[in-house]
Amino acid sequence: MTVRAEAYPEPLEPYEEVREELERTWEQPPGLWHWLRSVDHKSIAKRYIVTAFLFFVLAGLEAAVMRAQLSRPENHLLGPDAYNQFFTVHGVTMMFLFAVPIMQAMGLYFVPLMIGARNVAFPRLNAYGYWVYLAGGLFLYIAFFLNTGPDVGWFGYVPLSGPGFSPGKRADVYAQSITFTEIAALAGSVEVIVTVFKNRAPGMTLNRMPLFVWAMLIQAFMVLFAMPWVATVTQFLAMDRLVATHFFNPAEGGDALLWQHLFWFFGHPEVYIIFIPALGFVSSIVATFTRRPVFGYPVMVLSMIATGFLGFGLWVHHMFATGLPQLGQSFFTGASMMIAIPSGIQIFCWIATIWSGRPRFTVPFLFVLGFVVLFIIGGFTGVMIASVPFDQQVHDSYFIVAHFHYVLIGGAVFPLFGAFYYWFPKVTGRMLSETLGRWNFWLFFIGMNLTFFPMHQLGLDGMPRRVYTYLPETGWGDLNLLATIGAVTIAISMVIFVINVIVSLRGGVLAGDDPWGGETLEWATSSPPRPYNFPYIPVVTSRSPIWDESEELPVVTGLRTDVRDVLVTTLLDAEPDSRHRHPIPSIWPLLTAIGTTVLFVTLIFTPWGAVIGTPLFLLGLLGWGWPRGRDKWEQQLVESEA
Amino acid sequence: MRPVRVTADISALPRTVFGHRSLMWWGTIGYIMIEGTTLFICAVTYFYLRRNFATWPPQHIYRPAVLIPTIQAVLMLASNIPMRAVDRASRRMDINGVRRGLVICSILVVMITVLRCFEFAALKVRWDTSAYGSAAWATLVAHSTLLVLEMAETITITVMMFQPDVEERDLSGVSDNAVYWYFLTLVWIPLYVMVFLTPYFM
Repeated sequence: MTVRAEAYPEPLEPYEEVREELERTWEQPPGLWHWLRSVDHKSIAKRYIVTAFLFFVLAGLEAAVMRAQLSRPENHLLGPDAYNQFFTVHGVTMMFLFAVPIMQAMGLYFVPLMIGARNVAFPRLNAYGYWVYLAGGLFLYIAFFLNTGPDVGWFGYVPLSGPGFSPGKRADVYAQSITFTEIAALAGSVEVIVTVFKNRAPGMTLNRMPLFVWAMLIQAFMVLFAMPWVATVTQFLAMDRLVATHFFNPAEGGDALLWQHLFWFFGHPEVYIIFIPALGFVSSIVATFTRRPVFGYPVMVLSMIATGFLGFGLWVHHMFATGLPQLGQSFFTGASMMIAIPSGIQIFCWIATIWSGRPRFTVPFLFVLGFVVLFIIGGFTGVMIASVPFDQQVHDSYFIVAHFHYVLIGGAVFPLFGAFYYWFPKVTGRMLSETLGRWNFWLFFIGMNLTFFPMHQLGLDGMPRRVYTYLPETGWGDLNLLATIGAVTIAISMVIFVINVIVSLRGGVLAGDDPWGGETLEWATSSPPRPYNFPYIPVVTSRSPIWDESEELPVVTGLRTDVRDVLVTTLLDAEPDSRHRHPIPSIWPLLTAIGTTVLFVTLIFTPWGAVIGTPLFLLGLLGWGWPRGRDKWEQQLVESEA
Repeated sequence: MRPVRVTADISALPRTVFGHRSLMWWGTIGYIMIEGTTLFICAVTYFYLRRNFATWPPQHIYRPAVLIPTIQAVLMLASNIPMRAVDRASRRMDINGVRRGLVICSILVVMITVLRCFEFAALKVRWDTSAYGSAAWATLVAHSTLLVLEMAETITITVMMFQPDVEERDLSGVSDNAVYWYFLTLVWIPLYVMVFLTPYFM
């Protein structure tokens, strides 16, 4: 069925009646019970964002304690054992409990809004993903507070993390908490892929999809193919520790380098899994605040896809110090340098957009400019360490710490804060304060550079990573103190951000539907959006639907409003294809997640955990999938011959 | 709320669609990609560890028995015939054909799962004997986990199909389950060759 652009002859039903019925059908009543059963993508994404931000604060506090410890030589705030736990839990939290979930959560919130959908494709899976993620995070932190936090680094290298060198349960906590978060990430990726493929508004061909949606789609595919590697390799580690398999035991034919290969085949794409969504934020913000579509749309999309593919071909550059064949070194050096090309193309496209637009220097836009500066610095040092001889010199030194913090904070956290300021009005209905926002930005920007720029020099001076202290004779004290002052500055900027959020939630300026004059569909609905997102499913006629349809929004009608009815469209051209009965809220995703948690936690202690946990998990799935709530639908029963 | 302009009415669109038109089909494909990657990692590990041994299997370890694994693999391949019939019957809305086929498939999946238990013994090596045993067991355990889940799903669907109020859209789910079954059985063939046959020639 083709959507026609001319006016449909039927008169529209009264808007108020439609809206009221949709409210009744899609509402999430107040109360804990309904909260636990919610399957609304916005509600779940908000939980993800708040939870991930709390983990960000915890990991930040860990970083602050580490910086305090390193602020002067021979400090005794933390001992070596506690320090090992601190840097490991900091890394695991930032990577698995903050960066990936919060990026996915931004997608889970805004993808359905940007593509004109009522919800994600599998809302119960979405809820399940959140509960499993939450359980994994709590599990890690409960263990940490019981002095059983992982202490083997976020990449958990064997043999250190193996049964021989890490008795006790710390490495098991590492392995299993990752499994939790991987399941959540994989659930989120399937969610985004199917939603983008099948729930786009009529007329939103792939060629008209917002760059943000492209970024989330590419990230979801990367998650799909990268996360199973870390989930599997940590299970191998858990089995080596629990039932004495020999995957990583050289005495019985196992291989320590196998761990590194399998881990980094996930670990390098992980960087892009965190970074590519940020590209989507940047494109959205740049377009809105220059008031023009991003320059070079096809090139931008192809660059992101190229980054997604190339990201899988670089993993060995994390292993340059392990002794590789010459050809392997050259190949992975070449591949690592090559990925600078699509990143560079995108930077140039944004510069061209800003150049030819009318930039408004609001807080979100400042964060984007900060991103460009910091990411370029991180990118430059990335090209440097892609070269094997240089990498050999700075391997395991603070130069590497400086590099990846520039890439990750500059490349992902700055765009994320830009995104917070940009979309906060949509999510809450209120604006964040621009004044506090500028303080937040400048203190963060200055603090970030104060903290991490000196680390380049510390690395070149020979300071190794993961040391809990150093001697005064090394001469590293002054730069370390400077880095600690920077960390305090970042902490102050974060306090200002939290104050800004609290103050604005209570008394911020009311935002209205479209406070910035945005380009994409999320600005066509109310702030905050109602549970059904759009009263009528919008029709898209261009890449900038809001700007090009400024008078009135083209829509389709015909979905039922008394039941949760959603539209399914075709993959390439987004032509209306079928109607789908959307699941109602359910407690079963939570119960299934509890079953999953019992399974994973008991498996740390005994292989019989599988026997205890699997039936609980299966029971959860049964309750989840068993059909009910059909009574309101016009049932199309299958007729059987007697 | 912006003023709207109605461009089309979609109330006539179908409610039951099959294959790539259905959401659940895409969900199944996503699941297949995840699990396919996991099984691929098991294979990568197996061949990577092979390089650490002069002989395969390593010295003092028997080669696996092949009779039961071969019967099981053939049975898996053969099970695609009734599953394909179920798939086609579901697309025809032929509930009786679906019921007949699913009963056969349920019996087959139970047989296949029982044979799988004997396959662990057929490996003739324990997981903790050497890295060879670990890799072989990991592959078998990974696939068996999926097999057990699929057995549970197929039997559940079969029970559901005998309920009085089967809806057309439920048959779309039956078809998606068949897609997963094709994956699960066909992916086993190269893994079967890897685990049970390569020790004879590699």
